[in-house]
Amino acid sequence: MNWTLALPEIALACAGLVILLVGVIPGRNTFFGCTMAVIGALLLAAVLVLGQPEGTALGGLYVADAFSGFMKILALLGAALGLVLALDFNRRESLDRFEFPVLALFATTGMMVMVSANDLMAVYMGLELLSLPLYVIAAFDRDNGRSAEAGLKYFVLGALASGLLLYGVSLVYGFAGTTNFDRLADVFSGNGGVPAGVVVGLVFVVAGLIFKVSAVPFHMWTPDVYEGAPTPVTAFFAAAPKVAAVALLARVLLGPFGDLAAQWQQVIILASLGSMLLGAFAAVGQRNIKRLMAYSSIGHVGYALMGLAVVSDEGLRGLAIYMLIYMLMNIGTFAILVGMRRRGRAVERIEDLAGLGGTDLGRALWMTVFMFSMAGIPPLAGFFGKLYVFLAAVQGGFWTLAVVGVLTSVVSAYYYLRIVKVMFFDEAPAEGGLDATTPGLAAVTATTGIFNLVFCLYPAPLLLAAGLAAAALLG
Amino acid sequence: MYVGAIFFPLLGATISGFLGRWIGDRAAQWSTVVCMALAAACGILAFIETVMGNGATTVRIATWMNVGGLEVAWALRYDTIAAVMVMMVTFVSTLIHLYSVGYMSHDATIPRFFAYLSLFTFMMLMLVTADNLAQLFFGWEGVGLASYLLIGYWYEKESANAAAMKAFIVNRVGDLFFMLGIALTFHVFGSIEFDVIFAAVPQHLDTAFLGVPALELVAVLLFLGACGKSAQIGLHTWLPDAMEGPTPVSALIHAATMVTAGVFLVCRMSPIFEYAPTALAIVTFVGATTAFFAATIGCVQNDIKRVIAYSTCSQLGYMFFAAGVGAYQVAMFHLFTHAFFKALLFLGAGSVIHAMSDEQDIRRMGGIWRKIPVTYGVMWVGSLALAGIPFFAGYYSKDAILEAAFAAHSAVGMYAFVCGMAAAVLTAFYSWRLLILTFHGAPRADHHTMEHVHESPAVMLLPLLVLAAGAIGAGWLFYPSFIGAGEHAFWAGSIHNAEHNHVLHDMHEVPAWVPIAPAVAGAVGILTAYVMYMFAPAVPAMLATRLRGLYLFLLNKWYFDELYDRILVRPTLATARVFWKTGDARIIDGMPNGAAALVAEASRGAVRLQTGRVANYAFTMIIGLVIFVSLFLTGLAR
Amino acid sequence: MAVGLSHYLAVSAILLVLGLVGIFLNRKNVIVILMSVELILLAVNLNLVAFSAHLNDLAGQVFAMFVLTVAAAEASIGLAIIVIYFRNRGSIEVEDISTLRG
Repeated sequence: MNWTLALPEIALACAGLVILLVGVIPGRNTFFGCTMAVIGALLLAAVLVLGQPEGTALGGLYVADAFSGFMKILALLGAALGLVLALDFNRRESLDRFEFPVLALFATTGMMVMVSANDLMAVYMGLELLSLPLYVIAAFDRDNGRSAEAGLKYFVLGALASGLLLYGVSLVYGFAGTTNFDRLADVFSGNGGVPAGVVVGLVFVVAGLIFKVSAVPFHMWTPDVYEGAPTPVTAFFAAAPKVAAVALLARVLLGPFGDLAAQWQQVIILASLGSMLLGAFAAVGQRNIKRLMAYSSIGHVGYALMGLAVVSDEGLRGLAIYMLIYMLMNIGTFAILVGMRRRGRAVERIEDLAGLGGTDLGRALWMTVFMFSMAGIPPLAGFFGKLYVFLAAVQGGFWTLAVVGVLTSVVSAYYYLRIVKVMFFDEAPAEGGLDATTPGLAAVTATTGIFNLVFCLYPAPLLLAAGLAAAALLG
Repeated sequence: MYVGAIFFPLLGATISGFLGRWIGDRAAQWSTVVCMALAAACGILAFIETVMGNGATTVRIATWMNVGGLEVAWALRYDTIAAVMVMMVTFVSTLIHLYSVGYMSHDATIPRFFAYLSLFTFMMLMLVTADNLAQLFFGWEGVGLASYLLIGYWYEKESANAAAMKAFIVNRVGDLFFMLGIALTFHVFGSIEFDVIFAAVPQHLDTAFLGVPALELVAVLLFLGACGKSAQIGLHTWLPDAMEGPTPVSALIHAATMVTAGVFLVCRMSPIFEYAPTALAIVTFVGATTAFFAATIGCVQNDIKRVIAYSTCSQLGYMFFAAGVGAYQVAMFHLFTHAFFKALLFLGAGSVIHAMSDEQDIRRMGGIWRKIPVTYGVMWVGSLALAGIPFFAGYYSKDAILEAAFAAHSAVGMYAFVCGMAAAVLTAFYSWRLLILTFHGAPRADHHTMEHVHESPAVMLLPLLVLAAGAIGAGWLFYPSFIGAGEHAFWAGSIHNAEHNHVLHDMHEVPAWVPIAPAVAGAVGILTAYVMYMFAPAVPAMLATRLRGLYLFLLNKWYFDELYDRILVRPTLATARVFWKTGDARIIDGMPNGAAALVAEASRGAVRLQTGRVANYAFTMIIGLVIFVSLFLTGLAR
Repeated sequence: MAVGLSHYLAVSAILLVLGLVGIFLNRKNVIVILMSVELILLAVNLNLVAFSAHLNDLAGQVFAMFVLTVAAAEASIGLAIIVIYFRNRGSIEVEDISTLRG
């Protein structure tokens, strides 16, 4: 039993249990302490991941390789930054209950299990470990009808999606005879035809996973949940789980089902195209900035899936880099959105940003950096993210994807730049500008903003890491 | 040390630029000065190390990008040519930073100025130490940016904004060719790293691109890029206008360093230029023409800084035709000595302007030499060096350039020699015209100004004196190693001379009258100036009326600006208006408006699907699932 | 008539379709959706156990155990969210859960 390989997950789960126990100390609010402890645990897990050897463990249920390492670091980083965003917001909205960081911690454990899954059982367990806490924190603002509605919608559709996934798993198990990725790959590598049951099962599995990455046509929950959930929760949703889900999708499709690429490729291309188009067009008319970010994230997932659809080393590397850049852009943007308050009340309409360039130039400039980066304007990081997936698509001969990608980024640039325009050219509302931000948020904004600015100067190490991750998965 | 020379200025710029608001003006400016001094110390050490110690080294910092076959690194390439530039740039820049402390003391946004100045220095150093064309281009654009920022430093002045924009736009024209040159280099050599390119030159002697020898085309494109930055005829129009910036900026950017980047580029790419005889002939011709043409204009300008600006333009012409006849070493030598005396002249002019309460017109100066003796003295030294009077720095280099042009024994070489000799006379003439009008004669400024004439503070005089020492001594001190007997050991292969190129040898064996001629030309020019402006002040006015056409031709700078206005700017504006009225307002605006309406429509459609009902969402998911299954099964059937 | 694998699969497919239809044709009550989800999971478990017996492989039954456990947790969380929702809106009609849209 080489269970020590799974040390990061085990440590994280144990830390979660301990913090849960400590958190219930009666008579005092342990929110801040618990959040700090959770962030510490996440960073500890990141260190453990960095020192993790490669190999499989726990009877073949668990695999650690360069790909899982890269994605886990991303997920842990995203989760930690997401919790920093929640610190101040939750206190002001009296959501400062210690369960919040603990649930986030368990969700993160689930993400790590997903990323490292080497068996459909592990996939399911990781997915549920991620989903159950997320249902709860979506409805975390329990005195707010919108938050409860978001949680309910997410729960109903999420349960449906995991039901579909499970049904697919059961079919794959029945017709291929195993749930282990390595053995599945062996089964499909033979020349014999693939039973239709497996194919139908695979579709169901893909559908369940696409729900988690919120790509078209399984995206419907995203805008509603993003809008209804408390803003830091939205930030958390948009960053870490998405990275883990995309990683899981890539691993499932390229690992056990790698030899069926010709069959699932069409589906991923369709999902990618649909997501890019919907993300670009549906966001145009939005007034709520969180809803806009939801559509924007659907679009970004479309671009990332483009990297998966081409099934090549470059494509997968582009996907890894894209997720990294996407996550940091998103966290940075949300660091500003979380700090949007006027006279102590949280606001979330685009018009509320009006005149920010005059009242708080620094914040407006950072927001401009993020918006430009999201729109893919060089030399910001977002441009390079798009560049690598487009390059891979062109090299693979997927012209439709690349052309639609370019067109939709033009359309999406419209609504990103509209935010910039609102900040700098519209009059601030009569009741005054936004409240000052907090040091924690400002620090997150500045860190991610600087990353977006300087990525172009020295992308080599990250490219290298992403390349290694891609190579590990494609063998 | 190698790294320090480059990155200390960046550090200084960062401190001053980002922290200037908190640490105050004094701390900001002195931190940049200290950083520059450290950089200069590193630069001099690096020069000594490179030339006398270890020889050429390349400090690799990091891989910048790796896309397909193109790998580009951040690296500092220290060979002799780079080390000379690093030493010169850091040294002059330090002095100018110091000078600016005094000159800009009444300015409102001191940290901004010093941040720009240090940023410029950093970019210039990136340019000269680049080991590939991409990094060189980064520095190239960086200095262009810093130059734009500094020319437009007083952004509330409309003329400054216009000048900054002009400089930027004219430079873009050159940059376009430069970029084409880089692209073609990559196409031909498959790399943009100097080592790889230079090693591969012999294999590509016969490579053709579009029916033209590729090396020639690369060389011409790069030279056109250099023309923009180095203000050669045709693309020179921005340089005089750039004098709108503060005087230290003119001294640093538009005299000593940035404008010489073009010359540096030609010398750096000497392994390619050596095998591109046509390109070299073009370089010689353009350089010689510029040298003469700018000198003629310099004779009639009345703005003290513009006179010196045209002089810079003319001296850059000298450098180019030196490189054009194959004497890259001589070009570098003139670049080096020129940096000292031209920075000196600009700073001296700045000191005069400072003394005259920001008056720049030499017709409203005069009679002030007793009041500002130090400035007067250093201006003399600078002018002597510029005119090529024996034993001052300019003498050695300018003499060598003319000898090399003579020794080239080619038609363009001879043309360059003649132009150069004529320009030498004119150079001496306008220098002394400037000196006499500025310092001698009856005071022509109003009473109020004359009362306030005062010598500059010590912090401004010190750099002047150091530069004056350089203008006196840099020539004979460095002559032996740059172009004399020790030349071969000194450059250590960083400049390439092909086997057929004997110009460096031949230039020492020209007829006896050739070396003397420039000094004589200088003396003639000086005498003429004395006669016309000191002893017979009526003559210039008389000449101006008699030869009115010529005078106006020169005063209006050969009508270049008007020409461009007529053939480029106005037609462009006219076409633009047509496009705006019909193309933009009707068609282009129509399309985006139509497209925008379409997008809005699509958006409404997409949003309409989002009903908010869970049942509908679930239904969509099932439909999606069905579509997927059918896709799969058709995929399976295929 | 012997009951074979295909019969089990048919039953489970029927259960799945019942569950799916129950989710999107149901207009009244969120609790019904919860029951539909349980139906889907039931279909899955039936599938897994049937395959496990057919393949002579224990993994399917182990998986079914996991699914049961997780389903219990899921149901409890779902009920908790429904309680919260009811407290806020005073109704659990499916038609009413549509304030967030667009």
